[in-house]
Amino acid sequence: MSRPLAALALSLLLPLLAHAHKPSDAYLQLQVDGTQVEQRLDIALRDLERELALDADDDGQLRWGEVRARWADIDRLALQGVALQADGAPCLAGTAGPAQLDSHSDGAYAVLTRRWTCPAPVRQLAIAYTLFADSDPTHRGIVRIWQDGRDETAVLAAGDAPHPIGGSGSTAPGFAGLVAEGVHHIWIGSDHLLFLLALLLPAVLSSATLRPVLSEVLRVVTAFTVAHSITLGLAAFGIVEPPSRWVESLIAASVVFAALNNLVPMVREGRWKLTFLFGLVHGFGFAGALKDAGLVRDRLVLPLLGFNLGVELGQLAVVALFVAAVWAFRSAAFYRPVLLRGGSALIAVVATVWLVERAFDLQLGTARAQSAEAAALAPVHLIGHEPLRA
Amino acid sequence: MVPARCRGWAGACVLLLLLHAAPAPAAPHVPTDDAAIVEHLPARISSSAERQRQRAEREQLRRHPRELSLATRLAREALLRARRDGDPRELGQAQAALAPWWSLPQPPAPVRLLRAIVRQAQHDFAPALQDLEALLQPGPEADPVPLAIQAQAELTRASVLQVQGRWREADAGCARLLDVRYAALGAAVRGPALACRAELSSLQGQAGRAEAALAVLAHQGGIDTAWLALLRAELAERRGEAGAEAFYREALATPSPEVYPLAAYADWLLAQRREREVLALLAGREEADALLLRRAIALRRSGDPRAAQAASTLAARFDAARVRGDRSHDRELARFQLDLAGDARAALASAQANWAVQKEPADALLLVRAAIAAGQPEAAQPVWRLVQATGWQDARLRAFSGAGS
Repeated sequence: MSRPLAALALSLLLPLLAHAHKPSDAYLQLQVDGTQVEQRLDIALRDLERELALDADDDGQLRWGEVRARWADIDRLALQGVALQADGAPCLAGTAGPAQLDSHSDGAYAVLTRRWTCPAPVRQLAIAYTLFADSDPTHRGIVRIWQDGRDETAVLAAGDAPHPIGGSGSTAPGFAGLVAEGVHHIWIGSDHLLFLLALLLPAVLSSATLRPVLSEVLRVVTAFTVAHSITLGLAAFGIVEPPSRWVESLIAASVVFAALNNLVPMVREGRWKLTFLFGLVHGFGFAGALKDAGLVRDRLVLPLLGFNLGVELGQLAVVALFVAAVWAFRSAAFYRPVLLRGGSALIAVVATVWLVERAFDLQLGTARAQSAEAAALAPVHLIGHEPLRA
Repeated sequence: MVPARCRGWAGACVLLLLLHAAPAPAAPHVPTDDAAIVEHLPARISSSAERQRQRAEREQLRRHPRELSLATRLAREALLRARRDGDPRELGQAQAALAPWWSLPQPPAPVRLLRAIVRQAQHDFAPALQDLEALLQPGPEADPVPLAIQAQAELTRASVLQVQGRWREADAGCARLLDVRYAALGAAVRGPALACRAELSSLQGQAGRAEAALAVLAHQGGIDTAWLALLRAELAERRGEAGAEAFYREALATPSPEVYPLAAYADWLLAQRREREVLALLAGREEADALLLRRAIALRRSGDPRAAQAASTLAARFDAARVRGDRSHDRELARFQLDLAGDARAALASAQANWAVQKEPADALLLVRAAIAAGQPEAAQPVWRLVQATGWQDARLRAFSGAGS
């Protein structure tokens, strides 16, 4: 008894090792279209080797010939491990597609494709997943389903009850929740609001009649929207990723500039161009908030759209209230000195404090917009589904 | 709905275009040559004889799944391989071998011990401790827990408590192992128990005495020299002594060194700015994330273009782990974000999440470094509080103690 004990004791007193390699995962992708379901299932060759002993010449390496020769067995294993049901009725598996491979982060995977046919147009698909149920209880099936424009993911373990996915409007609350987050974000994101206000203060004074005023407001808001949408998309998809400290500093600088421009006019004509330029920077700021919430590229489609819609709605509400209020007071004697000059000066001071804080990474006592953004975004509903990287 | 909004929602339209450009899953391929090598099986199981034996044993277990001694032997072997190679698939193998008993509230003692060890390795510390504590309760007189299993449970429990920073409880456990009731098990228990107490005392302001105690143990023999050398290497490193190197080399002087001591020595070399030696040390061991991480840092620091490839492989592995909901790699993730991705803020969040679970010197150092890099030295307060409360001594931490302590 003491020899095995000694062997274990030694190993177990070592500090614990963080996970390396990767536990066993298979990647199941399902594309639902009417009664048809297109399947792609990626299974690690290492797992298949353990189960089926693929390495015929036993040299520690798998050659394509060795894998191909056993493809029928591989496919049988896959068929035993995955069954689909549509609204309670089993779907029929079609013949297997060609033998193919793909690589994932931990090595080569067999790619098994086939078309399933369900008895009626699929509303809710359920997956009975039992792959490697006996040989590796830590194995997981990472499932991704596309159905009616929705894109959902789930992590399945063998032995779970058949996992229903989809069904009527299951993603709608998540999307609506995200729109709400976007609205919330613009309301609490005081740097974005102050930037807009600094631009709109003089816009309302640009004419004595309402029509040109509204068209100027529209130009400014549209320029801001288009610009920040472009950079939000670029950053969220990882195409351009400027350092957040510079982005935050530039956002603060844009507010300072917009406010100072009202006191000492530097840019008079084509205010929308200025707005567009700075709007690009604000978009990177929105993206930072999205990233803090843990969203990743492949799952970004709906969240991004929803979040941005929310931002636009929130922004429009602010603009509508603000323009209406300022318009009502525009002829009052105190407007220009108090509202325009005083307001602009106040905005400039606040934004300058932010600028110094952010550029020099100091804490001068005002609330940090960025952390507030992150906090507000933490409970984004759509990431309740496990995000998937295929 | 979106096209209709395009006129008013120019932003949404731009986004829609971007969304369509989002990366699609990679396309599968068909190799053209049957002789093309498509996968290398785990390098460590390179001998044909070992593979044959494993296959035969798995087949045997398939026929007799409820044979306790076979199941526990296979689970134990899988656990040792997991530790040697750092491969979590082996934990799945261990769990598979124990499947008939895995979900029982009170499995047989040998299974319960192994279940606890698997859970510990998966960082499921609370259920692991529950199992271990149950094994240490006085059982029914008719069917007592074997003494050797109790001893192992006590040792394993102490190591979990140590990882969690519960040093006093860990020390009490190791002290109990020196009790007369374990005397029958001899040096197999006494040696590890003394080493355990020495290491714990070294963390709490008694480094000099601990060093002497470990030297005496090494002199006496009868205890795994590589493991003892590792403890001494880490202690010397915490004390800032150059002698750490010789101990690390001794710890690695085995035919197939385990991942942990390799990673620890690589870290020591990285701290000495000896990147080229790191590359030589870890050559061929990139399959383990912890080692690939050190290799990538060494490549990055020496301006080697292969650094980018190593970093992107790591990023993909961390991503895959996150997708399956696995948070047990926060230590490596934080290090990756800090030293490779240059994302101090993310590194701090990961280091904090890791600190909530693990409180070893490496975890403390990581949290302090991440907090300073993120410009939030106050975020390292939990470390400094523990240092204060325990008398923790570590030269590497001392180097940072000006910032935020």
